[in-house]
Amino acid sequence: MARESLLIATLVELADNLVDDFDVIDVLTVLSLRCVEAIDVDAAGVMLASPGGDLQFIACSSESMRVLELLQIQADEGPCVDCYKDGKAIINHELANSDQRWPNFTPRAVALGFHSVHCLPMRLRGRTIGALNFFRKETGLLDEEDVVLAQGLADVATIAILQHRTSLDAKTLNVQLTNALDSRIIIEQAKGKVAQATGTGMDEAFNRLRVHSRNHNLGLTTIASMVVEGSLASDDLDMPAPAKKH
Amino acid sequence: MASDRLMAILTLLSQRGRTHSQVGSLCSVAAEFTDLSGAGIALVSSGRQYTSLCTSNSTARTLMDLEFTVGEGPCVDACMSEFAIDEVDLIATNDRRWAAYAPSATIAGAHAVFGFPIRIGAIRLGALSLYRDRPGPLYGSQLSDAYLMASVIGRAILSMQAGAPQDTLAAELEREATFDFSVHQAAGMVAVQGSMTVGDALVALRAHAFASNTALSELAIRVVTRQYHFDPISDAWRDQSASGLE
Repeated sequence: MARESLLIATLVELADNLVDDFDVIDVLTVLSLRCVEAIDVDAAGVMLASPGGDLQFIACSSESMRVLELLQIQADEGPCVDCYKDGKAIINHELANSDQRWPNFTPRAVALGFHSVHCLPMRLRGRTIGALNFFRKETGLLDEEDVVLAQGLADVATIAILQHRTSLDAKTLNVQLTNALDSRIIIEQAKGKVAQATGTGMDEAFNRLRVHSRNHNLGLTTIASMVVEGSLASDDLDMPAPAKKH
Repeated sequence: MASDRLMAILTLLSQRGRTHSQVGSLCSVAAEFTDLSGAGIALVSSGRQYTSLCTSNSTARTLMDLEFTVGEGPCVDACMSEFAIDEVDLIATNDRRWAAYAPSATIAGAHAVFGFPIRIGAIRLGALSLYRDRPGPLYGSQLSDAYLMASVIGRAILSMQAGAPQDTLAAELEREATFDFSVHQAAGMVAVQGSMTVGDALVALRAHAFASNTALSELAIRVVTRQYHFDPISDAWRDQSASGLE
């Protein structure tokens, strides 16, 4: 699919989700997946600021442990922190072990096979609330169209979280951020229960939750909450159709 | 490395800890850190039983007793809510909110009251209630500070329930990201392994981490990679130490 068409299709899909009961984790997961499809990157993730000011991971294109870790360790140091603090994009940064800019993050990323990183701020009306993060196995540059496309997707992510409020008062912002972060916690707890109960890995557990939520037209966090509370048994979750590997 | 505001809380807690119990410190620091007149922390059980954990002064004590007696107010509402509660002018409020609570609260000296849920994801632990002796809303950073304080208190409550000693909270907060996905995944797994609630699993993980002198995040990774699990029959933790599955 041509990139522009993919962007439009993504915006339509997300816009569909932005009305009524949308699930912020689901929306941001879709966004992360589309980024990987549309742009020449291998993994994408969304980081969000907690009310206390720390960055926390919210959604990503892959539930593999290594991607989650790479996002999580950026709470204190890394491209996302810099991007968030300065409100400025970091593009085409090559990772080499000799790089002293992020002494904890860089060796970890390189060890996991990633050699370049990019980060776009999520901003709305002068406020930065988080960052959209990309990892690439190869070095080399993202072209300018990719960057414009990615920033467009980052802006959509920001609006999704803030639900396009006309006034960005601190109270509303804190509520939205807290709720998004709480949703992520619930999903992680649900993944653990499903993985244990069904004897599978965390990726598959997440997939089952997502497939079930789509089949039944219920929010991802809603399904996850039911699993955590015990009102929905892991074995009763729908099975995904046999997966095509991307 | 924790954020500046979190470090400020930890510094205050460590100063207070010389003269107060851990619980007393939490309340006293909550009031000082948020720059308000007083604070109280309530715990709620699944049966909607409220208990007071601590209050920072006699007015806060009076307010909490009042709420429990009449069953309404910022703390009681926050215990059951996903959202923060506020009443910025108890005297001027026209909407007859809290008809039983408001007049007596004003007489006790509270002119603005706020309640913040203390939760870990969907697990409700209780609420932080704050009051000011003058009317008016919380300003932006004060609001963020209150959310952060509520999340620190949540961690402290889990820590106390796990029987960890007073100084382990600061170490845990300093060392680990505010949100550690593997701890929550592990809690989900242990909840299934031990047929317990996820809340109880979080406490059990903490208790075992403390008892075995292991960092919580390290224990969580071992559980998630299936090197370690909780055996309900022997009510003990088992170390498999084979190469982990993911």
